[in-house]
Amino acid sequence: MTDFDAIVIGAGNAGLTAATALQRGGARTLLLERHNIPGGCATSFIRGEFEFEVALHQLSGMGTEKSPFIMRKIFTDLGIMDQLNVVEERELYRVVLPSIENKDHEIDVTLPANIKALKKTLIAHYPDESENIEAYLTLCEKLSLECFMMLPRAQKTGDQTVLESTCPLYIQYGLTPSKDVLNEFFTNKDLKAVIAAYWCYIGLPPKDIPFCDLAVMIYAYAAFKPCHVQGGSQAISSALLESFLAAGGKVLFNTGAEKILSEDNQVKAVQTEHGDIFSCEHVISNTSPLHTFNELLDIPTPQQASDDMKSRRLGTSAFVLYLGLDCTPEELGVTAASNFIIDDRDEEVAFETMQGIVDPTHTMLTCYNHDDPTFAPPGKSSISLLCLQYSQAWQDLPVEEYAQAKYDFADKLIDHAERVFPNIRKNIEEVEVATPLTMMRYLNTPGGAIYGFQQNTQDAAMFRERINAIQGLHMAGSWNGMGGFQPTYMIGESTARAVLKKLKNTQSEIKQQELSHA
Amino acid sequence: MPNSSSAKNNILHAVKGYQEALDHQQELIKTGTDFNEQKGQVANTIATLHPKRLQLVVSEVIEDTASTKTLRFKAEGIVLPPFQAGQYINLFVNIEGTETARPYAISSAPQQRGYYDLTIKRVADGYVSHYLLDDVKAGDRFQSTGPMGTFYHNPLFHGDDLVFLAGGSGIAPARSMIINMIENTLTHRKAAQKLHLVYASSYEADVIYENELKQLEKEHDFLTITWLISRPTEKYTGRTGHVNAELLTELLGSDLEKLQRKMFYICGPTSFHDFCAQQLEQLKVKARRVRIECNGPPKHPETLTGWPQDLIASDKVSVTINKADGTQGQFEARVDEPLLNSMERNGYSAENACRSGECSLCRVKVVKGSVFNPQEARLRSTDEAYGWCHSCVAFPTSDIEIMV
Ligand SMILES: Cc1cc2nc3c(=O)[nH]c(=O)nc-3n(C[C@H](O)[C@H](O)[C@H](O)COP(=O)(O)OP(=O)(O)OC[C@H]3O[C@@H](n4cnc5c(N)ncnc54)[C@H](O)[C@@H]3O)c2cc1C
Ligand code: FES
Repeated sequence: MTDFDAIVIGAGNAGLTAATALQRGGARTLLLERHNIPGGCATSFIRGEFEFEVALHQLSGMGTEKSPFIMRKIFTDLGIMDQLNVVEERELYRVVLPSIENKDHEIDVTLPANIKALKKTLIAHYPDESENIEAYLTLCEKLSLECFMMLPRAQKTGDQTVLESTCPLYIQYGLTPSKDVLNEFFTNKDLKAVIAAYWCYIGLPPKDIPFCDLAVMIYAYAAFKPCHVQGGSQAISSALLESFLAAGGKVLFNTGAEKILSEDNQVKAVQTEHGDIFSCEHVISNTSPLHTFNELLDIPTPQQASDDMKSRRLGTSAFVLYLGLDCTPEELGVTAASNFIIDDRDEEVAFETMQGIVDPTHTMLTCYNHDDPTFAPPGKSSISLLCLQYSQAWQDLPVEEYAQAKYDFADKLIDHAERVFPNIRKNIEEVEVATPLTMMRYLNTPGGAIYGFQQNTQDAAMFRERINAIQGLHMAGSWNGMGGFQPTYMIGESTARAVLKKLKNTQSEIKQQELSHA
Repeated sequence: MPNSSSAKNNILHAVKGYQEALDHQQELIKTGTDFNEQKGQVANTIATLHPKRLQLVVSEVIEDTASTKTLRFKAEGIVLPPFQAGQYINLFVNIEGTETARPYAISSAPQQRGYYDLTIKRVADGYVSHYLLDDVKAGDRFQSTGPMGTFYHNPLFHGDDLVFLAGGSGIAPARSMIINMIENTLTHRKAAQKLHLVYASSYEADVIYENELKQLEKEHDFLTITWLISRPTEKYTGRTGHVNAELLTELLGSDLEKLQRKMFYICGPTSFHDFCAQQLEQLKVKARRVRIECNGPPKHPETLTGWPQDLIASDKVSVTINKADGTQGQFEARVDEPLLNSMERNGYSAENACRSGECSLCRVKVVKGSVFNPQEARLRSTDEAYGWCHSCVAFPTSDIEIMV
């Protein structure tokens, strides 16, 4: 018998979910994590009186207690829903394009987290486009429903007429570049910038995002509410780990996987950085395919994986300032948890600046204790100030210059945000700076990528085949689906389901063999 | 075209943009790679900035005072990683078969990439300090963590008006910061920064780096030093006493606004930290203008609030260790000894660096029984509910079973 039925490499969202679902489904599972805590991106860290959320801005897919959505079901199935204190957010976000000379901001719009109110707000700001707004939001809603319900069914039938009759909007708009759809519906540039602000959560400008992704995002967040969890995403990670352990799972922290050992293209075992070898039937890798196939696997990268990677491009990383401020959110002028501060209505300008270490033009400020007062000590504020950025420029810096470059850029980021929230700097009590290289260090991802590969249209799962060249090796994480919290929890869960099914099949095969031998 | 042909996707050709996406995919394949050329890049990039372990060799042992030596460590094979003045490394030692470690601030400046200096003062009832002072000689080999910690000048908000309150060996990071400021001033000519060092020692003979610091003070306008001896000999003519509010007011003035603009760094023994922090609080200096270096586990946990009433320091409990491979071990430990220390003495270990409750590397899960977590333990909000503790500052208060 093998040491374990399954070994999960990495305790990020997908790894934790997969491990927990596997163990609870009866598979003897070992979870390996090179860091000292569970969560990957979904962690927190402490500085002074503050516990900073590393990555979660707005959790999607939860729904409310009254009308729950898919994540509640998944968390219930994983045995952790009753441990989470969910905080609903009141606003989707605020978008500000600050004025240059101390005048009123050129754009300053806050979108409420409610479909009806969202429509009303947009129309109030842009009355000339009221019909377009109605039409656009209706399209987002209907298209989302097609994506959730009809499209998977139509794909199952393999019948084009079914697709045509049930997914007319998807056919017309689903894979169209978001930019084209925005241009088709709206003329006002401000409005386009405001309504597309969630592009940051994908990391590509609207011209490169298929419209289904952008539409689902705004519709789902508005309909099912953005949420947070008390204690941050670490609370979810810790609860998952606890559920995994309670079901009998084994975990090793500070223990990276060093090799995936195979025989005849079949997974046999995993060797840890400390030299221990554990045999198993299945490996679920929560780390990048680059690391998994090119570095962990003990044979040359299989052609199938190599081909798949050739059409991918590394996704973005981020530069983040974690700020503990000695003032309340009100004193700071915070009126929504999530804020996008933009210099330009054209997202492509922002995307350009993401390539190097240049003055930021697009920052995102999240105030965690705006909706959840427990998130910071009384009288203080817990803030993350983020700007998407690729890592290359940081990798090119001589190590001696790294620290200074980090502070210089952090200073600029604060300057950028201070045009809307002027009192940040003078209230700093704690600050931690994370560059793309910091992400690389803690996530072990190439380029410090936070969402996996670049998520352009052809990157989507529907353009991909499952890489099955190595029997028993499964990928689960942001690299083989969408990045972000909900998608990675979901892929962890579905991968576990697939593995459990396989385990069941081999077990019944073995039983049958035993019977026929008897 | 490996991916587009599967049957379930064929119908998607009806979708506008599907073919374009496929074409784009083909285009990307032509210019893309399978990233094999990047093999090892992530690990190398991380290792140049934040290596997990350094291989060090003692190149020199410098006698500072009767109770203090500076050990100079050179790297074997690699260049030492950069650090920020004030940071520490955790030095792993093997003392008669016991594997343990202690964090020490780097007392040399970041510009010096050839070696790290660690300045070791004897701790009367200590363990590792005696070994480092009495047994270590040039040529001895060690492992350490990379530089760590958050006790350093952060230009984002610390400002240019700095005050360093050092007690005893707490001078080590101060020395690094001072030399760093000199080097920075030389290269950037940014002379606005100033530093007032208040350096308290017990005895005149204990003062570390006395001559060097006096010389530096003479040569550099940005540096002011106030020397303080708490147990002077009769012939001592300098300042005596403690770093109290009165002294600070005398040295720094009483203008609250000016005080608030300064950044205070405190490093020394735990009692020194507590005392200085209190004095600053009394002067109404806000917490955000004070940085306190961590300094190991509390020496007498039994005196702290929250300690179980009926438990005395010399009580012993049994510790059971569950390993992931299914094996178990067991030993006895005193309730006033940090869990990590008793684990190490009995041949178990957990990753560690700060040994002060801050970095969370030494996290272990208590599956049965209870531990006392002092305020040094910077636990995450969900840790206690699930039994996770930082073993370097956790004290077993009943028979316990832990998972490592
Ligand atoms: C971030 C940081 C930076 C520091 N920088 C400096 C510096 O630059 N210079 C300096 O001088 N000091 C510095 N210190 C303080 C320094 O780490 C301590 O002074 C040092 O730990 C003293 O070591 P010690 O073993 O002698 O004392 P302690 O560690 O306090 O010794 C007592 C401990 O040893 C344990 N022990 C006893 N016997 C055994 C055994 N057989 N096996 C295992 N454990 C045992 C006991 O449990 C007890 O808790 C720093 C501390 C920190 C946290
Ligand atoms: S070693 Fe850092 S918290 Fe224990």
